[in-house]
Amino acid sequence: MSRLRSWFLVPAWLWMGGLFAAPFAIVLAYSFLTRGAYGGLDLPWTLESYQRLADPLYLSILLRSFLMAAAATAICLVLAFPLALFISRSGRRRNLYLQLVILPFWSSFLVRLYAWLFLLRDTGLINTALQALHLIREPLPLLYNDGAVLLGLVYGYLPFMVLPIYATLERLDPALLEAAADLGARPFSALWRVTVPLSAPGIRAGVILVFIPCLGAYLTPDLLGGGRSVMIGNLVQNQFTTARDWPFGAAVSVALMAVVTLLVVLFLRRGEEAL
Amino acid sequence: MNRRVFLAGLGVLAACGPSRPRLNVYNWSNYIAPETIPAFEAEFGVRVRYATYESNEEMLAKVLSGNSGWDVVFPTHNRIPPMRHYGLLAPLRHAWLPNLANLDARFRSPSWDPGLEWSVPYMWNATGIAYSRGVSPAPAAWANLWDPRLKGRLTMLDDPEDVLGACLRKLALPFSSTDPDELRRAAREAIRQKPLLRAYLNAEVRDQLVAGDVLVAQMWSTTAQQAIDASPRLAFAYPAEGFPLYLDNAVILRESRRQALAHRFIDYLLRPRVSATIAETTRTATANAAAQALLPASIRDNPTLYPPPEIFQRGIWPAALPAAAQKLRDRLWTEIKAA
Amino acid sequence: MKPRGRLLGFYAALVFLFLHLPLLTLAVFSFNASRFTVWQGFSLAWYRAIFHDPDLMESAANSVVIALAATLISVAAGTLCAYALWKRRSRLISAGLYLSLVTPEIVTGVSLLALFQWAFRWLGWRLGLHSVILAHVAFSLAYVVIVVAARLRTLSPTLEEAAMDLGATEWQAFREVTLPLLLPGIAAGALLVLTVSFDDYVITSMVAGVDSQTLPMVIYAMARRGASPVINAISALIVVFFGALILVSERLAHAAEKLS
Repeated sequence: MSRLRSWFLVPAWLWMGGLFAAPFAIVLAYSFLTRGAYGGLDLPWTLESYQRLADPLYLSILLRSFLMAAAATAICLVLAFPLALFISRSGRRRNLYLQLVILPFWSSFLVRLYAWLFLLRDTGLINTALQALHLIREPLPLLYNDGAVLLGLVYGYLPFMVLPIYATLERLDPALLEAAADLGARPFSALWRVTVPLSAPGIRAGVILVFIPCLGAYLTPDLLGGGRSVMIGNLVQNQFTTARDWPFGAAVSVALMAVVTLLVVLFLRRGEEAL
Repeated sequence: MNRRVFLAGLGVLAACGPSRPRLNVYNWSNYIAPETIPAFEAEFGVRVRYATYESNEEMLAKVLSGNSGWDVVFPTHNRIPPMRHYGLLAPLRHAWLPNLANLDARFRSPSWDPGLEWSVPYMWNATGIAYSRGVSPAPAAWANLWDPRLKGRLTMLDDPEDVLGACLRKLALPFSSTDPDELRRAAREAIRQKPLLRAYLNAEVRDQLVAGDVLVAQMWSTTAQQAIDASPRLAFAYPAEGFPLYLDNAVILRESRRQALAHRFIDYLLRPRVSATIAETTRTATANAAAQALLPASIRDNPTLYPPPEIFQRGIWPAALPAAAQKLRDRLWTEIKAA
Repeated sequence: MKPRGRLLGFYAALVFLFLHLPLLTLAVFSFNASRFTVWQGFSLAWYRAIFHDPDLMESAANSVVIALAATLISVAAGTLCAYALWKRRSRLISAGLYLSLVTPEIVTGVSLLALFQWAFRWLGWRLGLHSVILAHVAFSLAYVVIVVAARLRTLSPTLEEAAMDLGATEWQAFREVTLPLLLPGIAAGALLVLTVSFDDYVITSMVAGVDSQTLPMVIYAMARRGASPVINAISALIVVFFGALILVSERLAHAAEKLS
């Protein structure tokens, strides 16, 4: 039995070695090198990039990204849970509703960001409509601020929160809620003390699937934030392009990966692997 | 089934067959006229793969490794010393570039490449202030961009060189300063200005200028001209304290396996008629004097694209910066953005 | 329906509106004759502009080729991997797959670019469609494994054992028994990879070569230039295309379920 299994794993091992471990090892190596005279890489080996990372400026950027990602995740959770609940209770129509949740996801991420630019600009649809309805006189500054970035992040990652929670809720035994009602619990109380705890694995999965990409987000803050603030993703991007400081960019990347790994290990308990 | 597969295979082979030589050209967007490439392909019996980029960094990221596959690229002048340092450029043979004589005298012997051994000037632009005529007094200096009345209707470029440069000139300090104290003072100015800004935007602010969302923007002259074309209400000013000039040059990459063809392409771009057509279609400023002579007066005398000599004199060529200064600027830029 | 049920339904409608509003408005305004937000008459000009732009058409073709190739490779490798992991766990591979899923895109892009540059130094490779395809396989393998593994967990191992008791070899048991049952999972995984690959910008832009410009790269460049409603038209087409793809795959999945 194990011979077939060994052969079957060959592509995965190739992937693991060539497309995962090797690239990361290279980036790790880069983080210990020095920036060249005009950019790029040069010897000697040094810890300089990591020492630079300990600067309060970069730590504050990490903190800011953390808070932004946490806020987006929290909002996603609050928005997604009732929706997942609704879909899990919709009987026959539940596949249709799932498709409706996923459909925007199938379109280009960039396109969706552009849609928000289109809607939020001073001469965009929302302001034009509000002004036409005489609800406001001057356009509202909806774009190029933290709120716009948060909106973009929530919009982009909401399906990632809905789907895992739905998957857990769907497998929930309705008999449990009936039992709670029989024992005298009111509907909301039953929800809070039975349903939510039982859907914890789905919530945990959703939080991971939203928080991590938000932490490393770069396009959304770039386009919707108007370059007014820096998140970790922007910092890394900047180092590999404008600043051409590859060692420092590599160090920030390694640090980000370390933080992400730590979060995943802490947050997911054993036996809950999806793989 | 077998026969169909065989015929299909033949078809594929035929398509890949002995084809014409191909040149790979990587240029800024909106820097060529629709007929330029097809005419070159027809005249020389070759094919050209033409793709575009939006920033030097995007191009350099590809080219720096030495295996990008591009033959001709168009770096801005202050990226040429680094490219030379890394051995990315192929030396030019002037014998193959007879049309070099057409170049504007001002660009024939630039400081970064005195003998034009590595680069050929192509198009140039400058950074200045694009504004709506309704703003009064009309902005004429970088200092005007710190006016509190502009709050929320003002943007600066998303580019550390342009922003720090504007701050340095506002303080009457050198544009390409490498002095840490001067740079920190400039960064403080930028942070002071930040609450007034709507955003740091590049070419995408053009539509907002035209729509009237934004009243004043730090803007490149060619993009400003595009905005003015769309709305006569807009104007462009070259700041009194001095402004950066940027010259984009054609270079041949050392990795290129079609050096002769690349030379022919660059020489073709130097033809007066070709260069004039490009300048007219794209509304950009050509470095080719013979081409300028062929332009219609409305473009040749356009003050935004071709400022008169007394204004041009106030222009500064940003230099390639040494590593320490670059690092400090980058860190200051992060500070400004994070403020 | 209980009052709370109706409230929940109303809330769901609002969220669906939130999810779809931007795309709907983009689509509607892709037919607008004017560049700006004021409606100035119906026009197909922007759609015509798409088909007259050879760059756009070529990058779309590139995107399709890359997506198809990456999907094929990922699905094949991923299915085999999921099956092997189902038989016996491998902590290392699971950890690697999981990490690749949660790695920020920018880090993946940077590390793959570094790898390809070293590949150039030692093997003389150039960047091209192949580098983009490899990059796409790199980040999408985990998706396939997760989806197929989830499907595998609903299967009973006794099915294969029964087949082998009846004289089938390991390989035959896999091919004749398990694989057909896995098809819905494989199809779902393939659809996922197809989308993620077609949509990718960050990683692709870093590893693309001379001939491998993709649709997201073109859209991004256009957005950077502050360009026109052509983007609206492209996005409307993309959504319609993928919507149709989902509908078709849904029908196919239904039919497959009925047959099995």
